[in-house]
Amino acid sequence: MTTEAMSLTAATPAAGLSPSLGSVARPARFVNTLAAEWTKLATLRATYLTLGLGVVLSIATTALVCLALGSTQKTWAADFNPITTSMVGNIWALILFSVFGAMVMSREYSGGLIRLTLTATPRRGRVFGAKLILVTGIILGFGLLTTVAMFLVGQAVLGAYGRPVAGLGDANARWMVLGLGAVMPFFPLVGLALGGLLRSTAGAITAVLGFLWLPVIFGAALPLWARQHVMNLLPGNGLDSITINHVEHSPSFSTPLVGAVIAGAWLAVIVGAAYLTFLRRDA
Amino acid sequence: MNDTIELHDVTKRYGDTLAVDHLSFTVRPGIVTGFLGPNGAGKTTTMRMMLGLDAPSDGAVMVNGQTYRKSPAPMQEVGALLDAKAAHGGHTAHQHLRWLAAAGGIPQHRIAAVLDLVGLSEVAGKRVGGFSLGMYQRLGIAAALLGDPRILPFDEPVNGLDPEGIRWIRSLLQRLAAEGRTIFLSSHLMSEMEETADHIIVIGRGRLIADASIAELTRRSASSHVRVVSPQATALAALLERAGAKVTNGDSALTITGMEAKQIGSLAAEHRIELQELSTQRASLEVAFMELTKGSLDYQAGVPNSGTIRETAHALVGTGNRS
Repeated sequence: MTTEAMSLTAATPAAGLSPSLGSVARPARFVNTLAAEWTKLATLRATYLTLGLGVVLSIATTALVCLALGSTQKTWAADFNPITTSMVGNIWALILFSVFGAMVMSREYSGGLIRLTLTATPRRGRVFGAKLILVTGIILGFGLLTTVAMFLVGQAVLGAYGRPVAGLGDANARWMVLGLGAVMPFFPLVGLALGGLLRSTAGAITAVLGFLWLPVIFGAALPLWARQHVMNLLPGNGLDSITINHVEHSPSFSTPLVGAVIAGAWLAVIVGAAYLTFLRRDA
Repeated sequence: MNDTIELHDVTKRYGDTLAVDHLSFTVRPGIVTGFLGPNGAGKTTTMRMMLGLDAPSDGAVMVNGQTYRKSPAPMQEVGALLDAKAAHGGHTAHQHLRWLAAAGGIPQHRIAAVLDLVGLSEVAGKRVGGFSLGMYQRLGIAAALLGDPRILPFDEPVNGLDPEGIRWIRSLLQRLAAEGRTIFLSSHLMSEMEETADHIIVIGRGRLIADASIAELTRRSASSHVRVVSPQATALAALLERAGAKVTNGDSALTITGMEAKQIGSLAAEHRIELQELSTQRASLEVAFMELTKGSLDYQAGVPNSGTIRETAHALVGTGNRS
């Protein structure tokens, strides 16, 4: 109401368009697109909410699980692993960061914003590239923050109960903690691509979470040969082969290098398809 | 760098639907060009193709001498208003313009300048999610003007504006045209164009129906005439008819077509005939356009079938209710 009233009082046009830019046009560059997409994200409450929730829920879940274990377990199994235990909250980061990735693109389509974006930057490759770089960079930062924090909090809680703990000086711990953080952008980037292909937030989030969880849910029920020869080709198993394989073995893991190739191939195909579609389809 | 928008035989198909059908025209700088057509005639599709959002199935659209997608400084060449509601509801007006300015490499001081120009300075810090349609339109115009562009294609900009807002936008557009800019303004109502535009391009079912200046259209109209009051009306009527004009004798005045007021005045003076009134009565744009579509179809080369023309004419001038 008040905003409406204010606009009516200011209905007469101000004189002139000055200060104008002058006659010399400055060409727009890729850094301008990057700055625009960054501004778009940095000024939205949803960005802080989604990323913040991902970090907080992950750390809280790790703390609670470690607290529960520490206060209830009388003895510790020989294969108890304090490193993987402290990473238990990672599912929240995966879910919320993937939602963030999907929304970076799908939000453009919910109210026709994409047409304004592509009018401001008609070179579509720049828009796609800027979003790709920002999601990768932001999630890499938040991913490492989350995994390191989960590790430190988890070890602190377990240590307080006098349980076996690991330090970041431990090569196995370092590999897993930094590895999980480093591969964190994978599913958010899949979300970004699906957001562009499906042009719908709900569709993209459903698809990326299905992509993330369906193999985990149904995979364990599959016969061994399928886990060895089919499951290992899935992107999640590719990623786990890089990060978890050295501390927790599974028949559906590959060597880290093969795992990286499998995950990279998936990402290249999905993001590549989204990129080509983004370049060609009517907006 | 010619500040024009040119369509060269442009066709756009969506599946089996033909949205734009071999459309060619040029939009020139320094005037307001009205782009008229009933809802669904292909106006928005045409404007999307100008901005590289939709790709033509055939033909080419050139903006400032090149395709828009190749423009090195797009926001400083073209300021478009397509869908005013295309903004993120969670952004404030200022934040919305901030990312746009960043995208175009436009200095931040322009944001306050355009917000002031459209009268939104006081709500710059409010989230646009709570804006009325009229405020969205103003924000859309602010966004279009950010880069101080020379070419301004606006799609139905008066939609949702109150009468005061409509007057405001008309004066703004005319001022921008007077600065030598290219103003291209779409509407589905002929009456909106009469006071705003200098030139109209009319399409129906994706095809060109008319491309003419409003002055020329109304001058050609049979309804345009000169009214003359004279105590020696009979003598004057005979004189004018001999000179080739068509004269109708009313109760108190002569209605003359086929001769301009200037010639009538000279002729009367030459024969020492007293004139008490001499005035030109211009046909309204609506009437002139209806005549054009009813009458000769040779006005425009490659005229589509007369059914489409009639249908378009009636939709544009007809009931006037806004959808």
